[in-house]
Amino acid sequence: MHPSSFEYFAPTKMKEALELLSKYGEEAKIMAGGQSLIPLLKLRIAAYSYIIDISRVEGLNKIRETGDFLEIGALTTVNELEENELVKEKYRILHEAAVQIADPLVRNRGTVGGNISHGDPSNDLPAVAIATKAKLEIVGKKGKRLVDADSFITDSFTTSLEEGEILGKILLPIPKVSSGGCYIKQKKSAGDFSVAAVAVNLVLAEDETIKSAGIGLTSVAPKPTRANKAERYIEGKKIYDSVAREAARIIVSEAEPSTDFYGSADYKRKVLGRIAEEAINLAFERGLVR
Amino acid sequence: MRIVKIRTRVNGKDIQSEVEPRELLVHFLRENLGLTGVHIGCDTSNCGACTVLVDGKAVKSCTMLAVQVDGREVTTIEGISKNDELHPLQKAFLEKHGLQCGYCTSGMILTSYWLLKNNKNPTEEEIRKNLSGNLCRCTGYQSIIESVKYGAQLMMKEKEKEEQQIEVR
Amino acid sequence: MPTINWNDRELEYDSSRFVKGTGHFVDDIKIQGMLFMTVLRSPYARARIISLKGGISSKDLGAKIASVGEGASEGEASSVEPIFASGFVNYVGQPVAAVFAEDRYKSEDLLDSVEVDYEPLKPVVTIDEALSSPPIHKGMKSNILSEAVKGQDFSDPSSPIVLEDTLENNRISTNPIEPRGLVASFEGGVLNVWASTQAVHSVKNGLAETLGLSKDKVRVMQADTGGAFGSKGGIYPEYAIASFASMKYGKPVKWIETRREHLTSTNPGRGVRGKMKIFSEKNGKITGMKGEIMVDAGAYGSGSGGFSVPFIESMMTGAYAIEKAFVTGKALLTNKVPQGPYRGAGRPEASFFIERMLDLLADEMKMDPADVRLLNMSDKPFNSPLGMKIDAARPFFETAVRELEYRREAKLAKGVGLSFFVLVPGTYTGESARMIVKDGKIGVWLGGNSHGQGHETFIRKLINEELDVSKELVTVYRGDTSVTKDGEGAWGSRSAILIGAAIVAICKKLRTEVEKEFGSYSSESLLSRDHDEYVFDEKPFSLTSFGANLATVEIGRFGNVRVKKCNAYYDVGRALNREMVLGQIHGGMAQGIGQTLHEGLFYSEDGQLITSSISDAGVPLAEDLPNFGVKIAENRSSLPHGAKGLGEAPTIGVPTALIRAVEKASGKRLRKTPVMPEDLIE
Repeated sequence: MHPSSFEYFAPTKMKEALELLSKYGEEAKIMAGGQSLIPLLKLRIAAYSYIIDISRVEGLNKIRETGDFLEIGALTTVNELEENELVKEKYRILHEAAVQIADPLVRNRGTVGGNISHGDPSNDLPAVAIATKAKLEIVGKKGKRLVDADSFITDSFTTSLEEGEILGKILLPIPKVSSGGCYIKQKKSAGDFSVAAVAVNLVLAEDETIKSAGIGLTSVAPKPTRANKAERYIEGKKIYDSVAREAARIIVSEAEPSTDFYGSADYKRKVLGRIAEEAINLAFERGLVR
Repeated sequence: MRIVKIRTRVNGKDIQSEVEPRELLVHFLRENLGLTGVHIGCDTSNCGACTVLVDGKAVKSCTMLAVQVDGREVTTIEGISKNDELHPLQKAFLEKHGLQCGYCTSGMILTSYWLLKNNKNPTEEEIRKNLSGNLCRCTGYQSIIESVKYGAQLMMKEKEKEEQQIEVR
Repeated sequence: MPTINWNDRELEYDSSRFVKGTGHFVDDIKIQGMLFMTVLRSPYARARIISLKGGISSKDLGAKIASVGEGASEGEASSVEPIFASGFVNYVGQPVAAVFAEDRYKSEDLLDSVEVDYEPLKPVVTIDEALSSPPIHKGMKSNILSEAVKGQDFSDPSSPIVLEDTLENNRISTNPIEPRGLVASFEGGVLNVWASTQAVHSVKNGLAETLGLSKDKVRVMQADTGGAFGSKGGIYPEYAIASFASMKYGKPVKWIETRREHLTSTNPGRGVRGKMKIFSEKNGKITGMKGEIMVDAGAYGSGSGGFSVPFIESMMTGAYAIEKAFVTGKALLTNKVPQGPYRGAGRPEASFFIERMLDLLADEMKMDPADVRLLNMSDKPFNSPLGMKIDAARPFFETAVRELEYRREAKLAKGVGLSFFVLVPGTYTGESARMIVKDGKIGVWLGGNSHGQGHETFIRKLINEELDVSKELVTVYRGDTSVTKDGEGAWGSRSAILIGAAIVAICKKLRTEVEKEFGSYSSESLLSRDHDEYVFDEKPFSLTSFGANLATVEIGRFGNVRVKKCNAYYDVGRALNREMVLGQIHGGMAQGIGQTLHEGLFYSEDGQLITSSISDAGVPLAEDLPNFGVKIAENRSSLPHGAKGLGEAPTIGVPTALIRAVEKASGKRLRKTPVMPEDLIE
């Protein structure tokens, strides 16, 4: 339960971090809050020759609205996110997810960027990023590129980050006036990973039909998943009980949960169906309030 | 293997030390500085026996590297009492029997210390939620929660007293 | 004695240190030149070791574990656990080799230097597989570790009501927040051991026997012990390895268990199945009970698997006056870590089996479960056909029903459960204490060692009562086998009874001595002279007590159970300290809720542990638990100080009341702990 040896760097500039990363390649690992990585190092499930601790890199821990986006620096801790007044007020889907991550002590160290780029299918923020149609700003030696949240996590614990790249910022579209979102998470016991969780973000048209829907799923597939078909199904419709129910049914059909000791695949589908229906109704209700 | 120099402030004292990068903060505090009030109870960042404050925030010192506190301030259970006077929370845990075996106690006190800094008079529900990163196997938590509530009262009283003294002056 | 970083004064047990962070836990020990030990463990549930190179292993230390913990059993020779796996490994986490270095990081690095080749074999994982598979150990005829029968067999009567069911408690890890650990240092021909333990003498005896040392050459001292719950009673392979290594290398050796090791390699509790059959008259009066129990003993008899069979059997009529009872049982060998005692240690299992049947009978009869229970109790003391002696049960439980306001609760909500039980404390074979009066102060050493139960508080109180010595003058020290000649340990709900009795016995002796010398007794006279008294107070008589629990629950739409009320009415005898009594009950209730709703060790088909973190193993958080409601009856026991057993009571009474409440709320018959949310919804 003690990490194997590594060399450690704590750059303060992104440029330095990128240089180190390109120098050491696959032998290096980026660490932000370390709340997922350090346990893996301790259990010696993972071992790297070089750890690049980016937590001191300047300018990557801000939360601010700029242009069309809420910009969240990847090094913002989950605690900073949950304590942020703007987030509390305007980004309930994000706030609801943040306060349910791990425990308060882990949230004091764990970062937004780490929660997303670890690629854990039971981490909460990827589903929120998917539902809100967030963009991720990836920094590399050649410069910055933006990717959709969907295409960032490609498989269990695998991302589309290329060699020498670091996740820099998360850009959440600023909510339209008529929009609503929520995050609902279900666990077996208080200390567990989720059985299933759903992020729903709905943008309403003037006539209260759904102009745009975003639905992200946690813990019910090898990776965080967008419920594409369900989104297309509710777009253009008003949310009635029957619509929410049918959408939830479609969401369940898009999930691929596996059986573990938190519950059987069947149970997870049941839970997912019910929280999905509830989340769609709740997001819609929140969208109606102007 | 390269040794790294760090400067840190632990319980109000400036410390310069050399550490191996892989050394966990909890081992640095226990082995290098002899602060054995911080404990290790698990390896998956669940139990919170290793809780300390880094720059005022409660964190799990088994899930941090010692090198990461370079330039930061660390407070352990040994550092919250003033001179020999117990902190109100320590008094409360003693008086309300907020411990049995004593192994989780420093973590429980430090997490609650952090809570009470931000929330002077928390509800029972808030205390339970705030302790969701700290496990106790002996007490069923009831006496711990009573201790935190009582500690909050003691701290408020202490504050009032201080304010009155200032007014008198 | 090697020099460690604690002075003599620091050997006293003082719980006020814990709020300051100045406790003395075993991992806090530093000795110059100390080595840190890391154990290489089997990754397979069952395999043949083809080759092994590096570290120290069975070729260096071929001994087997001498079992001397609570409920130790002598199995067949081939089922006795070797200290190091030899030829075969039989559970995931079994010690194969050990490595040593000057710090824990380097020590773990050295694991890479050990080379092992395994040929994996198909493991026997479940009770059913154990029954149907060839023996896991060569030289045995089957996977039966032990068998026991209680009561007289009888032919099934032609009763109007015959009910059968199969009930089960899954395995649970004890999970004290401090894992196991010890420091061993061999110096001047004496093996000095500091351990996190509830029983210094068990560790001493075990090490002496295992390593072939004479008992007076082994000294075991208790460090502050961060919880135990049954799992720190006896010795384990690692204790023998570290001790052996300290002799071999001539250096002190420290071993501290990690949580993952605790989950794979520390004896877990429960893991028992009971097939029950009850015969009843038309009015609900039970005339006979038959049972068949299966204990999942794990891979060796080094735990309590063998012993637990007759112990569970003896308690299977519960608080009820059932005239005919017959129980058969087997402990079965599986390729899992050996089973051991966990708070309750057989008592919760026995109670689970009979209480679940009483609820089934109530449902069958359409009677209130309290009425069925009271109907089956006696107004007089009762000797059960299985060998348990209990006091008149009905008067106590009639009061309990009122005190718990059960009838009101049952009208208010659906999800209400009630349970009755008898607590049989582990009084065998008694307990030791030593009191030294010197320099006007009293020092006390015990055979059974506190790890948070509040021994020091009640000892000071009893000494104050018996000898009129103020509490500040009394110091209680942690266990040390060099000070007490013999002793059993702090387990089995026994401390307040037996240590209390031993202390009172010493006090009476001292009083008589002082009276003889001074003509009359005064504390001043006592403290003016030096005294040194030791007793081993044997209490072979039965000291059972009663308790009842009430639980109310709500079930969420996903089957998650919210415990609304978890209340108790227990006869604790004379409460020596009310706060300590409540603390014991609250903590036990949390464990009872844990067993019922959250906790379990689960294994895959190939015997791998799936629940490999303390969180997955289900130790409840503050958020999972309600506020507890506790009332105590103080019916003094026959002992001079009036105490009765207590510690395990809630782990017996809570699961049975709570599972009934969940059963009523869900409308589904429940047979197993833990109850999973998905069992409760459509």
